[in-house]
Amino acid sequence: MSVIQIISLICDKVTQIYLNISQCGGNKSGDGGADVEVFSYLCWRNYVRRLIRQAQSHFFIRMNLITMKETKKDTEISRREFLRNLGMAGAGILAATSPWLSAFSEVAHTQKERCRLGIIGPGSRGQFLMSFIAQNPKAEIVALADVYEPSLESALKIAPKAKVYRDHRALLADKDVDAVIVATPLHTHYDIVMDAFDAGKHVYCEKTIGYTMEQCFNMYNRHLETGLLFFSGQQRLFDPRYIKAMDLVHKGLFGKVSAVEAFWNRNGDWRRDVPSPELERFINWRLYGESSRGLMSELGCHQLQVGTWALGKLPDKVMGHGGITFWKDGREVHDNVHCIYGYDTGETITYGSVISNKFYGLEEKIMGNLGTVEPENGKYFFEEVAPAPAFLQMINSWEHALFDEIPFAGTSWAPETANVNKGEFILGERPKGDGTSLLTEAFVEAVITGRQPERIAEEGYYASLLCLWGHEAIERGEIMRFPEQYSIDYAPYGTKRQTTIS
Amino acid sequence: MKDITFSARRQKTELWYLLGAFVVANLVNLWAITSYGAPIKEMFTSFFYVLTFTVFLYALSVIVRIVVYGIRSLIVNRKKLKTNNSL
Repeated sequence: MSVIQIISLICDKVTQIYLNISQCGGNKSGDGGADVEVFSYLCWRNYVRRLIRQAQSHFFIRMNLITMKETKKDTEISRREFLRNLGMAGAGILAATSPWLSAFSEVAHTQKERCRLGIIGPGSRGQFLMSFIAQNPKAEIVALADVYEPSLESALKIAPKAKVYRDHRALLADKDVDAVIVATPLHTHYDIVMDAFDAGKHVYCEKTIGYTMEQCFNMYNRHLETGLLFFSGQQRLFDPRYIKAMDLVHKGLFGKVSAVEAFWNRNGDWRRDVPSPELERFINWRLYGESSRGLMSELGCHQLQVGTWALGKLPDKVMGHGGITFWKDGREVHDNVHCIYGYDTGETITYGSVISNKFYGLEEKIMGNLGTVEPENGKYFFEEVAPAPAFLQMINSWEHALFDEIPFAGTSWAPETANVNKGEFILGERPKGDGTSLLTEAFVEAVITGRQPERIAEEGYYASLLCLWGHEAIERGEIMRFPEQYSIDYAPYGTKRQTTIS
Repeated sequence: MKDITFSARRQKTELWYLLGAFVVANLVNLWAITSYGAPIKEMFTSFFYVLTFTVFLYALSVIVRIVVYGIRSLIVNRKKLKTNNSL
């Protein structure tokens, strides 16, 4: 090999590695204001891990193409990838942070089992859930119930063999249904879920579980009384980014978490097309007070749960403000809401949602004294970033010395954004999906084994309670203390039931 | 067009230049570490920056040598021309 070939090879390798490394690490404002990438052990570790994951992913996909059917492959890859994404050998490692992962502990023994599900309210969300369930060989959608024909017609395309009911009680009376998924408008959850428990069916209810705090409390109590399964649609509990992020938070990597700042902003009227005017309040139920709690119940529920998950306790008080500031189209719910949940120990969770600006999108910023986690972006940032290598600082100072004095040289090639901290990725790559697939899979496993995974019902209950409590604070315009009458026994948050189950 | 061949002697010479560039790059790295008070382990962790700088120095040496060679051969050719003319 000639010298030129050797040099070319070296340059290619260096460039490739540099480009890979530049995807991680942070820039540093060094002594000379250097705009440089941080070359660190963490970058190398992440880079090597990414290579291994890519190789493994390639290997598994090839294996599955040869040996498995497409639908089975998707299910098994998603769970295997999930565990691999978390960098763990088994679910037991994260038992303390995410004990609901025990839902998968008997996966190997339930290969030949099947459960039969009924979908109550197979509208847009219901069909989204159905799309995952239909791919699961352990689940069969045997029944659908809805009062809206177009939803049923659409849902039958996903589950063509399902029986169709126009009344949820008729579906609940069907002996062929083991469990139901409730994806109806918010104000109907309570009656349907209580009927389902009375009919002896396991329940997965979309969040927010109830229209009032009292309804949520009654639903949770009924779950305890009957011993039937109760899941709610808190998919972040099964999102690898969130699980890993919380593992790092609870290990203290980011120090003492003092605040969680959550927001979910969109720019849209939140309306669905209505075939005729009399269906307006039926189809756009999210916009009207009798059927919805607006942004707090539809969006806030997810992110408030992230806040309490990070802090490990419930807030003591809440205050809020809301209004209709842009979409003045006859809706009754606010298009602009903000709440502050305060702890007597000083921590805060802030939640805001505006649907007339999407610039910042959505995020939950978990802020500790040593660093910040942004699970939605999939990144974390340390407060103190290691200085850039001395070599790069020197190059930068030469560059400044050379070009700063030359007026025609113009702006330095080193951008002025030298102080931006690019952070590290929580996982090496963005996981596919948001945890919904695994949540439905966990529900199926739970129905088959008959075991309620730890904390799922309680996390869903308190998430719903928090958003409804915040909504009430906004409506009242006053600071509200935590409604102790709705406390349940939940050791992770240190809460104890104050009222007996009647 | 002539074939360009690199004799073993030329290859050896170039390798010496490359080695020299590598040594200089490491010395520069050491100087930077001393000046900026960085940990000595950066002699290893900054290896790829040193490698890149080595390639840069080597390329610079190639360019400089080509320029010097070009100027020298211009001068030599002029002298030869003058000598031929005087004869």
